Amino acid sequence: MAVACAVAEPDTNTMLAEALARDVDRAFEDVVIAFRQPVVTFVARMLRDDARAEDVTQEVFVRAHRALHGYPPERRAELRLRSWLLAIAHNLTRNAVRDAPPPSDSLEYDDGTSRVGLTDRQPGPEGEVLRAEAWQSVGDAVAQLSPALRAAFVMRYVDDLSYDEIAETLGQPVGTVKASAHRGLLAVRAQLEMNDD
Amino acid sequence: MTESNVHDYRDATLRSVSPNFTAKVFAEIGLDRYTICPSAIGDVYVAWSTPGVAAVRLAGDEQTFEAWYTERFGRRVVPAVEDDSVSAAARAKLQGGRVTVPIDLRDCSPFEQRVLHEAAEIRRGNARPYRWLAREIGAPDATRAVGNALGRNPVPLLIPCHRVIRTDCSVGGYVFGSDAKRALLESEGLDLGAVEKIVDRGFRYVATDDGYFCLPTCGDIATRLGVVPGYFGLRTLEEAHAHGLAPCTSCRPIAA
Repeated sequence: MAVACAVAEPDTNTMLAEALARDVDRAFEDVVIAFRQPVVTFVARMLRDDARAEDVTQEVFVRAHRALHGYPPERRAELRLRSWLLAIAHNLTRNAVRDAPPPSDSLEYDDGTSRVGLTDRQPGPEGEVLRAEAWQSVGDAVAQLSPALRAAFVMRYVDDLSYDEIAETLGQPVGTVKASAHRGLLAVRAQLEMNDD
Repeated sequence: MTESNVHDYRDATLRSVSPNFTAKVFAEIGLDRYTICPSAIGDVYVAWSTPGVAAVRLAGDEQTFEAWYTERFGRRVVPAVEDDSVSAAARAKLQGGRVTVPIDLRDCSPFEQRVLHEAAEIRRGNARPYRWLAREIGAPDATRAVGNALGRNPVPLLIPCHRVIRTDCSVGGYVFGSDAKRALLESEGLDLGAVEKIVDRGFRYVATDDGYFCLPTCGDIATRLGVVPGYFGLRTLEEAHAHGLAPCTSCRPIAA
């Protein structure tokens, strides 16, 4: 199955939010279909664990459904669904990150030396190997960020969310979000430059 | 850091959920869904819950169906957007596919479940009397209760209650009407006209040319009734014994 970057258009949001305002249950499958991919992708990037990512994503929608039933229709009609769902996802992944041991494919060894530079060169077309290493090294660098910086960096520089949306998702002032995303960017860049040396 | 590195990272870390993700979410929130499927008697609503298909009804007015569903099952049902494995199996089965469809009979009493499980075993091209089904489930005196249980079958077509008819081979009642029941049986290859001719002459069994005797609605012979000269009618079991015939193991004309 082709994996497309499913980012809901604003009019989709309006349509879904209004449908939710009318009847949560009748609109809910459309919400799941529209946002399951962006949510699971965000969660997987935060957790770097695909199996747990799906479980957490399931929990995101279960909690969303429960919350929607508690909101009055006018509040449902106003929802910005992507940031609202990502906020639930962010809260759940924060708990999951806190509860889980650090990822086993962590960038650094105990003595602080980088694993990336030591990776065995696999045989195969040179370009492909370099390309794979390039994104993996971004992934490794992202994994090194604290959860707060990681969320801000991924949303801003990977998912291209606006600062407003990120602020809404993380429940933080725009200024804080800008600072976190920027610090995340600097840290990832520094990590990659260190690898290149 | 180059832009392309981040692009590659973005593309490589896109994830999608597994095919039954939506089903798992709906199981967790306890909401049933329904869809429209074409069938031998026209479009039907197929509603399903976590364990399996809970209801099949003629498609018509959504509100009427949803109200009926909630009244009967005590749960809300909403129109589905996508098929999952349960609805896809039901869709295939209703179009003649040989697939197993999970069924949700939680709403039925243990007795009703026994009746429906037995009815589910009656193969295409066959029919059996209500009295026969009562005997098969070990409740020979409960013919009327068997009829009532079949009448409450929540999943007609998927559990083929239309294959249970009266002892005189008239088709009896059906949730979608007697005409639909007759048409379904005919479309499945049962020659009801030929069966009726046998029964009208007072025959209860039919002897085959290979030494067995059957119910007139046995699928093994019913499709050949009018065309095979070796078949002859029998009025009583004694006649069958006198001819040295053995009961068919498929339609089981007498109790095992």
